[in-house]
Amino acid sequence: MSHEELERRPVIQTVTDAAARIQDGITLGVGGFINSGHPMALVRQVIRNGVRDLTVVGPASSGLEVDLLIAAGCVKRVIAPYVGAEGLVPIGPAFQAASQSGQLEVWEVDEAMYYAGLRASAQRLPFNPWRSGIGTSYPEINRDLVEFIDPVRGERLLAVPAIELNVAILHAAVSDNYGNVQHNGTGYGDRAIYAAADYTIVEVEQLVSVEQIQRNPAATSIPGANSVVRAPFGAHPFSSEGYYPPDVIALQEYIEAARPLRRGDRQPIEDYLRRYVLEPEDHIAYLEQIGLSRLMSLSEY
Amino acid sequence: MSQPHPVSNTALLGEPVTGMEMMAIVIARDLEDGEWVEVGANLPVPRAGALLAHLLHGPNMTLMMAMTKTWLLNQRSIEDFQFITDVRAARWAEAYYEHDRLLNNMRFRKRGVFFCGGIEIDCFGNSNLIGVGADHRRLEFRGPGAIGTCNATVYNGRYHLVTNSHSRRVLVEKCSFVSALGYGDGSPGLRASLNLPGAGPRYIITPMCVFDFDPTTNRARLRTLHPGVSLDDVVKNTGFAFVLPTRVETTEAPSEEELFTLRTRIDRAGTLRS
Repeated sequence: MSHEELERRPVIQTVTDAAARIQDGITLGVGGFINSGHPMALVRQVIRNGVRDLTVVGPASSGLEVDLLIAAGCVKRVIAPYVGAEGLVPIGPAFQAASQSGQLEVWEVDEAMYYAGLRASAQRLPFNPWRSGIGTSYPEINRDLVEFIDPVRGERLLAVPAIELNVAILHAAVSDNYGNVQHNGTGYGDRAIYAAADYTIVEVEQLVSVEQIQRNPAATSIPGANSVVRAPFGAHPFSSEGYYPPDVIALQEYIEAARPLRRGDRQPIEDYLRRYVLEPEDHIAYLEQIGLSRLMSLSEY
Repeated sequence: MSQPHPVSNTALLGEPVTGMEMMAIVIARDLEDGEWVEVGANLPVPRAGALLAHLLHGPNMTLMMAMTKTWLLNQRSIEDFQFITDVRAARWAEAYYEHDRLLNNMRFRKRGVFFCGGIEIDCFGNSNLIGVGADHRRLEFRGPGAIGTCNATVYNGRYHLVTNSHSRRVLVEKCSFVSALGYGDGSPGLRASLNLPGAGPRYIITPMCVFDFDPTTNRARLRTLHPGVSLDDVVKNTGFAFVLPTRVETTEAPSEEELFTLRTRIDRAGTLRS
């Protein structure tokens, strides 16, 4: 064997190449948590690509990244225990408008059922049992949640079907060339989303040497990303822990554009999508649109 | 964070007590040392109540703030963060709660106390965060989703319902949908028959009053009226029929220590006074 054949293969890709894997009709997992850590460089590329009929499995607390995908017409069905932005807007405006008009299907779950479903996928099981939800409206409004009698103790439980992700997209702090990813902070539910997916793309603020990863291997949260995208400010307008906080001005701008959807007015969101997603040809052009002075005003701490 | 204008202690204590401050004080008095409290996103009242209990009588309480385990008795003043993931809270962390692990581990919640909101809360203590309407596929009003309330109201040792909006829109006879089970249709022993490990809701805490639940019928029962609130105010603004005991007490007014701690160490920005 020649030495060349034994070289380790890097997994670094461009945003465009990585996002090409996200095709019409797949089940797409999205990482982060409310106003933090969403893979926005990839999300905006999915919208530019005109992807349709996605089942989007948002983070346990989904933010406006899921709302934006809905507003852009990419989503047929959403699986999420919450879609909103805390005090900025308690209910995602596009999520609300599209579900009230019947255009969007909501697969109802709470956080614990959501993780039970991801866990079933990770474990390659048809379902995971869960207790909470018995006696509530959940089995009526989500017929995929099946009540059953547990054969061991005879208790009434819910079977939560596996939530199988074709592709997961995440945002994290750093990775080496080989898909060893480290988050700053807790990493939210990103590990569970990764474990439930066939294929995981992680965008990172910085690429680092494998030696740097090896200095603290316990911090490696995603040990096997299939694809890594270098995307500084890739979570903007959301925060990336240790790099920048949420850009509240930019989030407000989205909210103002999306709110009129609730009365059926699409013009403001179309303008927003054109300005911030469709016209900038790539992630760097998006950052230029936001502007250096705004980006530099976002203090790390 | 915005800093308050310097004021004398007397002036600060002299400002009228708001409904939200009363709620926080009711929450604090009920919490016991040693309990585990999860302070969720965008819930300034339960946050203030949990911190007040921690600072005044809870040195062995465990607080989960901003996805971290924390202990704050040495903090002179505790900042109020706009977002649950604010990294500034992480400097107090004794542990990180990875969200999926938090939801996989239920045993430790035996001593947990939870605070559950709702776009609707009904007379049997059920909560709805899903939406309002007859047909789930065409809701008249789409809610935010249950977040973790379905599960947290089952596995925590006990919980309260809380709402900042004491209105007929929120306090309804029957929820359109139930995303967190209270006492269901009121049938005695329902929660036990479903093997739910945690107790049902103890109180409904509002800016006007505190309800508990009748032990026989499981229907909401007026427990105390906050100072200055009349029974008539409560009746007018409550959409469910509630049990009225022969004698209704007034919620004990805040002590100087409670109010001073709340206003100088927990809510310096005055969120609960706005």
